[in-house]
Amino acid sequence: MSEPVMRRTLSGGLARSSRIPVSRIYSPLGKALSLCSVLSILAFTVAPLTVQAAEPASLYSIMSERAQSSLLLDITAAGKRLVAVGDRGHILYSDDNGSTWTQGKVPTRQLLTAVYFVDDKHGWAVGHDAQILATTDGGQTWVKQFEDLSREAPLLDIWFKDDAKTGFAVGAYGALLETTDGGANWEDVSDRMNNEDGYHLNSIIAVKDSGLFVVGELGVMFRSADWGQTWETVESPYDGSLFGAVATKEPATLLVYGLRGHLFRSSDFGDTWQQIEINTPNNGPLEFGLADGELLADGSIVVVGHGGTVLKSTDDGRNFSLVNRADRVSLSSAATTDNGKLILVGQGGVHVASPTGADLGQQ
Amino acid sequence: MSKHQQKPASFLERLIFNNRPAVIVLCVLISAFLFYQAAQVRPQTSFEKMIPLGHPYIQKMLEHRNDLANLGNTVRISVEAVDGDIFSKEYMETLRQINDEVFYIPGVDRSGLKSLWSPSVRWTEVTEQGFSGGEVIPQTYDGSPASLEELRDNVLKSGQIGRLVGNNFKSSIIDVPLLESYPDPKDQGKLVPLDYQKFSHELEEKIRDKYQAQNPNVKIHIIGFAKKVGDLIDGLLGVALFFAVAIGITFVLLLWFTRCFKSALAVVCTTLIAVIWQLGLLKTLGFGLDPYSMLVPFLVFAIGISHGVQKINGIAIASGEATDSLSAARMAFRQLFIPGLVALLSDAVGFVTLLLIDIGVIRELAIGASMGVAVIILTNLILLPVMISYIGISKKAVKISREDAVRDHPFWRLISNFAHPVVAPVSVVIAIVALVGGVWYGQNLKIGDLDQGAPELRPDSRYNLDNDFVIRNYSTSSDVLVIMVKTAAEGCSTYQTLSAMDQLSWTLENTPGVQSAISMVTVSRQVIKGMNEGSLKWETLSRNQDVLNNSIARADGLYNADCSVAPLLVFLNDHKAETLSRVVAEAESFIKENNKEGLEFILAAGNAGIEAATNEVIDQSETTMLLAVYAAVGLMCLITFRSIAATLCVMLPLVLTSVLGNALMAYMGIGVKVATLPVIALGVGIGVDYGIYIYSRLETYLRQGLSLQEAYFETLKSTGKAVLFTGVCLAIGVATWIFSAIKFQADMGLMLTFMFLWNMFGAIWLLPALARFLINPEKLRNKASA
Repeated sequence: MSEPVMRRTLSGGLARSSRIPVSRIYSPLGKALSLCSVLSILAFTVAPLTVQAAEPASLYSIMSERAQSSLLLDITAAGKRLVAVGDRGHILYSDDNGSTWTQGKVPTRQLLTAVYFVDDKHGWAVGHDAQILATTDGGQTWVKQFEDLSREAPLLDIWFKDDAKTGFAVGAYGALLETTDGGANWEDVSDRMNNEDGYHLNSIIAVKDSGLFVVGELGVMFRSADWGQTWETVESPYDGSLFGAVATKEPATLLVYGLRGHLFRSSDFGDTWQQIEINTPNNGPLEFGLADGELLADGSIVVVGHGGTVLKSTDDGRNFSLVNRADRVSLSSAATTDNGKLILVGQGGVHVASPTGADLGQQ
Repeated sequence: MSKHQQKPASFLERLIFNNRPAVIVLCVLISAFLFYQAAQVRPQTSFEKMIPLGHPYIQKMLEHRNDLANLGNTVRISVEAVDGDIFSKEYMETLRQINDEVFYIPGVDRSGLKSLWSPSVRWTEVTEQGFSGGEVIPQTYDGSPASLEELRDNVLKSGQIGRLVGNNFKSSIIDVPLLESYPDPKDQGKLVPLDYQKFSHELEEKIRDKYQAQNPNVKIHIIGFAKKVGDLIDGLLGVALFFAVAIGITFVLLLWFTRCFKSALAVVCTTLIAVIWQLGLLKTLGFGLDPYSMLVPFLVFAIGISHGVQKINGIAIASGEATDSLSAARMAFRQLFIPGLVALLSDAVGFVTLLLIDIGVIRELAIGASMGVAVIILTNLILLPVMISYIGISKKAVKISREDAVRDHPFWRLISNFAHPVVAPVSVVIAIVALVGGVWYGQNLKIGDLDQGAPELRPDSRYNLDNDFVIRNYSTSSDVLVIMVKTAAEGCSTYQTLSAMDQLSWTLENTPGVQSAISMVTVSRQVIKGMNEGSLKWETLSRNQDVLNNSIARADGLYNADCSVAPLLVFLNDHKAETLSRVVAEAESFIKENNKEGLEFILAAGNAGIEAATNEVIDQSETTMLLAVYAAVGLMCLITFRSIAATLCVMLPLVLTSVLGNALMAYMGIGVKVATLPVIALGVGIGVDYGIYIYSRLETYLRQGLSLQEAYFETLKSTGKAVLFTGVCLAIGVATWIFSAIKFQADMGLMLTFMFLWNMFGAIWLLPALARFLINPEKLRNKASA
């Protein structure tokens, strides 16, 4: 019994994938300058402008005790610190292995989809309304670098070079944005990819010694050996959506994963693929969608997804063990702590789990 | 009042006693008519009368009633597996049978019936080809372990955990939407309104009793508005039984008091006639008997008996002097008609202040009680003496009353010590300590209902236990505040509207006491996620209008027909006044900042919204009403005694009673609510009678030159017994209510019993002690002689 997928809900999204010069100024400096000009005008004009100036200030995310237990989509390490992003502009950070969380000051209330840090201070987050936020203090305070309401679509992942200057953000309807100045200016470079149908780009990763790799809707794959300047379409082993990709510690090796437990491994930067079979104890192949993966410090790999699925591999992604958490909540991302525990995020916010992903109590 | 005693026969007396047959015939005719009317009085629980219609929240709610109509007259039947979980062949079979049985109960909206067995309950999954899904119970289901395992998987995928299936898989729910009126099974063209009581009984017989007997491993829990109302009406009928009990006890007491079967019977009969008249008038004037006005017959009965007793007492004393029962009755009538009238009018003053409260049931209680008091004037002050003039009083009773006048009364002698110069200061100090203690403890008094569950029913009632079960096992709460979101037509699904709703939801979800908030935004977010292959990264509102329109297509009941009103449901932890006022205040401040042209947030509907409005009204009326009652009663005393000191003597014990009453409520965990608010007015209005009786006699004796204690002894000797009897009578009338299945009736019964007894005690104990300080007998004597 099947019903057609309502995939194409945004008819307008396609037209916008062509190159759009982005002249918006969102850097802190630019902001300060524009604020100065506003103030200078204010000196001569009357009230209405103050209202406009006051508007953005009220749209910081609300400090909430419930942020920790409501939807979170991505978690990453910023040095020793863990930073998680999610619903309503919530960005939380923890300096004690996930025991306690503090909410950062974030100038948005939109759903944030991904976060990336190059070191313990500099990080970026992306989200709906095509927003890009940046921090220079390890996630405590954020500024908005980019936003485009007219896209009516989210950015879904972001990656930066270690120099913290060059970075790429990917998103719905084939959006690919590039910056070369740490995010002060973002340029739409979607046409570097041969993605005429504007399929969603769900994930962007760096593969060791090889280049960048992007996966997306209906199994589309792109790779760039020159770190983002030119992109090549990769023949996909799968025509269902791929939600994410993760590089292993080996050169040219990566895993991609998506709908209904599909997981593929390539050790040649996507030239060839092997499907990794995941079987549940009683019920045949795993049917839950897989959302995100993480290469842990010890070289093991964790992939999480719907139905409380936590997969773990200690042989560079050739074989996985499976845990379906008792609460069956959908998971979106994972990180590890000094003491070996897993921090899972997704529905219901932060879940601290054992190294295999099971509840701590179940050990 | 003694000045009336030696008056010659008045015009009224001559009119009545010269036309005795006419009076009797007239009364019989009126009684016949009103009995016919009274027999048609039905218990009713009119929703609108129980809520403060003048409050803006309620007005807005009623204004948008049709837009919210489909929000839910639903009964939920939770079938629990006692051992094991729901994934067993036997359990599923019983569930199927119950599902089928419910389907055929009249009044059920069959198209909306939902359980695991409904084809509409499906699981969905995103596959490479699109959505894949099926019925939770597959067509191939045969009860085998393999198909039960499949069922378990489907349930997990269906997202029904916490909704149709209990969080611990030990129970599942049958959702039964109801039709307010449905086609008559006998005549399809005609609509019959849903009879809540009958429906509730059918659930008990056809579902609970039948299937719990058939499968001992299931337990059935039923909740929902219709079930609650059904239980309430059953509880009301139970109260009728208490009336019989009250009559029985009162009759025995009457026999003991009058020592005369004939006159005891006459008093009970005339008082019952008063009750019938009152009920008949109620029906004639178009009122019904609701859970609050049900108190009135009890009060009328108790007040009627106490006045009847004084009549009999008077006639018995007069019989000593008179030659026949007619002249004895006439003498008693002459002496007692005016004081009786004054006492009854003072009762009425207390009732009338209740009209200040803007809640229908309370106003009807006030009107009903005033009517009852008016009726008593006719029956017990006029009809009773006429009846006695025919049947007379037994010789034994006359003899006892004559002996009473001369024999010594050690009990009253002892009680008269309350006026003693040493005892009095001690009494006053104790009273002050009690007053201060009462005020201090009374600060814990809360506004509103304090118990979990349905406040109308007792916490340990089956309904509330069932409710508790459902709350514990499902992700739901029974306390719902509804905020209405109003836009232009077709405006409810715009991004601007939805995102504002989302902001309000989140603001409220961050308010202590709120569990969660649900609106079309909740559905929209889920559907948008679903449309994007279930990816969590899309679980938010879209700025694209087509996507939004698409996403709310399945949000039935969460917006009205032309998409101009959408409810936002806020689920609360409880309905305590502080929770309600905190959440409402938070919502109000959001509304103040965010309401604009074309997008209005409006408070409030839902049971919690109604309670919030009711609490506000009660909070405002409480002080007003207290002041009004005391002002009215004080004025009555001033007019009667023409002395501030005397007024204080009568009023201060009442104040002490009110304060201790508040402390008692705080101690018992009873909040100030619709049911307990009238108690103070009734208690003070009726309670002042004791003080008036006692003080008027006391004053008479003081004027005759007796010392305070001696005067008090004489007072007790003549009226003490009647005062005691009146107090006990009134208390019995209302005390039976303590056993009512309906919580607020029990609260009323308890508080009124306390008020009546303690007011009596206060008058006997504290009044003489206060008189010791406030009244100067010398002055009174001089006044009398002057």
